[in-house]
Amino acid sequence: MSGPTAPNRREPHGDGPRARARILARVTRAAALRDRLPHPGRLDTPVPPDPVATFVNRFTSQGGEVATPDPDRAPRDWLTTFLGELGAGIATIALGADVPPGLQPRLPGAAPAHADAGISMAWGAVAETGSLILPSTGTRAVQLLPPLHVVWIPADRVFARLEDALLEMVPTLPGSVGLHSGPSKSADIGQTVVTGVHGPGRCIAVVH
Amino acid sequence: MATRISDYAARSRDAIRDQPQVRTAVTGATVAFDEKRRRAYGEVDADAWRRWAEAVKNHLLTHLDDYLAEAEARLEANGAQVHWARDADEAREIVLGLASRLSVRSVVKGKSMLTEEVELNPALERAGIEVIETDLGEYILQLLDEPPSHIVGPAIHKKLEQVQELFADRLGTDPGGDPDELARAARGVLRDAFINADMGITGGNFLVAETGTVALIENEGNIRLTTSLPRVHVALVGIEKLLPRMSDLAGFLQLTTRAATGQPIGCFVSLVQGPAAHPGDDGPEEVHVVLVDNGRTDVLLHENAWEALRCVRCGACLNICPVYRQTGGHAYGWVYSGPIGSVLDPGLLGLHEAMPLPFASSLCGACFDACPVRIPIPELLLAWREEAQQEGLTPWKERTALSALAAAATRPPLYRLAGKLGTRVGATRAARSLPMLRDWSRDRDPPRPSPRTFRDLWRKGIK
Amino acid sequence: MKVALFVTCLADHYFADAAVDAVRLLRHLGCEVTFPDAQTCCGQPAYNAGMSREAARMAHHTIDTFADCEAVVLPSGSCATMVKKFYPRIAADDRAVQAAALADKTFELGEFIVRRLGVTRLGDGLAGRRVAVHQGCHALRELRLEREPAVLLEGAGAEVVPWEAQDECCGFGGLFSVKMSAVSAAMADRKLDTLPRVDWVVSGDGGCMLHLDGRSGARGCGVEFVHLATALWRGVDGHPD
Ligand code: SF4
Repeated sequence: MSGPTAPNRREPHGDGPRARARILARVTRAAALRDRLPHPGRLDTPVPPDPVATFVNRFTSQGGEVATPDPDRAPRDWLTTFLGELGAGIATIALGADVPPGLQPRLPGAAPAHADAGISMAWGAVAETGSLILPSTGTRAVQLLPPLHVVWIPADRVFARLEDALLEMVPTLPGSVGLHSGPSKSADIGQTVVTGVHGPGRCIAVVH
Repeated sequence: MATRISDYAARSRDAIRDQPQVRTAVTGATVAFDEKRRRAYGEVDADAWRRWAEAVKNHLLTHLDDYLAEAEARLEANGAQVHWARDADEAREIVLGLASRLSVRSVVKGKSMLTEEVELNPALERAGIEVIETDLGEYILQLLDEPPSHIVGPAIHKKLEQVQELFADRLGTDPGGDPDELARAARGVLRDAFINADMGITGGNFLVAETGTVALIENEGNIRLTTSLPRVHVALVGIEKLLPRMSDLAGFLQLTTRAATGQPIGCFVSLVQGPAAHPGDDGPEEVHVVLVDNGRTDVLLHENAWEALRCVRCGACLNICPVYRQTGGHAYGWVYSGPIGSVLDPGLLGLHEAMPLPFASSLCGACFDACPVRIPIPELLLAWREEAQQEGLTPWKERTALSALAAAATRPPLYRLAGKLGTRVGATRAARSLPMLRDWSRDRDPPRPSPRTFRDLWRKGIK
Repeated sequence: MKVALFVTCLADHYFADAAVDAVRLLRHLGCEVTFPDAQTCCGQPAYNAGMSREAARMAHHTIDTFADCEAVVLPSGSCATMVKKFYPRIAADDRAVQAAALADKTFELGEFIVRRLGVTRLGDGLAGRRVAVHQGCHALRELRLEREPAVLLEGAGAEVVPWEAQDECCGFGGLFSVKMSAVSAAMADRKLDTLPRVDWVVSGDGGCMLHLDGRSGARGCGVEFVHLATALWRGVDGHPD
């Protein structure tokens, strides 16, 4: 182990002020070797004309699913029926802490590790990348552990571009944000794509 | 740091001869990755995106002192704790110190090349802490006790049959189990690990200075879990991974994934600002970010090599590289392989330690066309070669021969004479005596000179 | 137009007939061909090995040798790249102007015919021939000569067959093929293993050809490699095989 400093003096800064000062000094010295180059400004990515349609398109092409509630029914009743009709044997659900009663399906609750489905609220969605934005003000285990993840997303919260969404989030960023752009996937075994590794194998965005 | 770089030539020969299945698996996987990258670049104005990304990173690297300070301040304001590690020893010590203070017995890990670089796992294990890699590819390699061979697809050198055999042996799966079945078995084991772990350790693809956001890209969800379920999250981040602003992150997330796997974005992206921020916020009690130098400031101080620090570790240069495709990553002898390894390793480790990697390239230039941040890899290889020649790190015979060529080439009569002697009279004898040419003829038929040189034919007159 | 031929080391000694064909082809296209006798090596081996000072000496010699020529043509993509792209990088400051001037008037053979002379139709001499093209990496990625050889071969009647590994490096790389011989040979194998059934493999780079041909010979593949200059000259109408 390098350095004579006693380990307990390194908390919480590792080798403490000395490592920090030394790294920053070297970085500053390097900066003096060359011109300080300007920032190029924003990257202009194309703005999808119909964000909701683009979101649906991209999200489904990445393996996600999209559902639209029946406007004539109470949302929680519609979702209860919808889950029953999925044919996936959804008997229990885990609810994110921020799901309002009106959006909670009438099914027995279970711990996230054992529930058949997790129900979450998206803060927003992104058309450009087909992503749902899931803040940690929801319940992370609900977003990740059940094999099916159902996410409520208001149609007017679909942002055209990722940058638009991220910038709007900046002032109120929670501890963590997850962008979920379809189900969990891996191609690590023999280069064959499998779904549902670790995270949910199905992800349904309910656009309402 | 222990590396096995110096015998690259011999080990690449052995790998090609003894492990033909590695070559097939790696070529197949990288060709497929590269095709997806091409398609994904084709869907956007890739040229403009790459130029933009290059400029953002150049700005960042020439203002890194300011942005490091800003990132630290933001992270601390978010409730995260920031640590600075000058080298691998310090990085390990910081993590071990945290683990001991927080009574950590079990760690889950997300895929991180930096933790490979600083050899974190063995250190944790020596301290009696259980470490479980949760990326499926990394998990396979952990069971096999092998290092990753590719920065994005760590186990691309393994074929299905090898994983079937491994999992049948270790997890009791059916020897003919399909990938779905195998993944389910691993999921079962790893699910318990996530729920029981005290600490989650990850790297970081980016660290946004403006917001103190550690951004992590993945497809499986294991990194989301690693950063969410355990009570402590530790992210090790190389100091070059910073981005100035959140708006930059939007571009980099998309460009990096397009370059890496051809996807518009990873299935999961984690944006970690810090621990659970307020009541109603869910997540780890503590978040620690370890900013690691470990040779990066050496690279930054280098006249040419600093451009390699733009690297976002997408693996596109490995995928397109015809040299990498023949052997996979292990032959290179250290964590970073392929084109980026050949220009970054000399900077991180010192050129002497990284020889002969700058010469492990035909200079075909394909890597530059693929690189999302336009690192001029062929030019950097040449710069390292230049330095190697000047420091006398190449065989003296080679240097002498090239100096002689230069001397002759500026004296046309001498050059003409040497050319004739070299190709006609001396060729066969030289092939036997010079070890260099012996190697060439070991793998190929020797070249046949034309009966008469063009120069002679020209003198005689061409009709 | 007056054209100076820069024959290059490998073509002088290993592809002398192809260089002769290049002269005939250029004459056929109306050029007067000269051969400056003081020409030597372009310096690429030294440059690629990281000996740019030695390479610069050779560059200066070449710059002087071709100073008064109207156009310089090379039957080699990699040597043409050396002159066009790398001389300006390594030339001494007091030679920068001449280096740039030489770069501007230097062409790889196929590049010269298509881009400078504006010719794409040579004849029907290659009618019925199936060929695959191996473009050297420097010609492909530095000079961006992506379509030129195929355009000319098709313009001479050949059928250019797509090749899975068409744009991949063959593994030559000069010193690389000696230092890392096994990897280099494996790269050639990838090219050879994906090669479709063709009459010829055509290339404008002698180095790639020596390496691919040598590997193909060692493995007994029986592929015929033909230099671009020879293929094109055979393509000219009425020229006997
Ligand atoms: S050098 Fe470029 S292409 Fe290679 S891993 Fe880094 S960013 Fe990707």
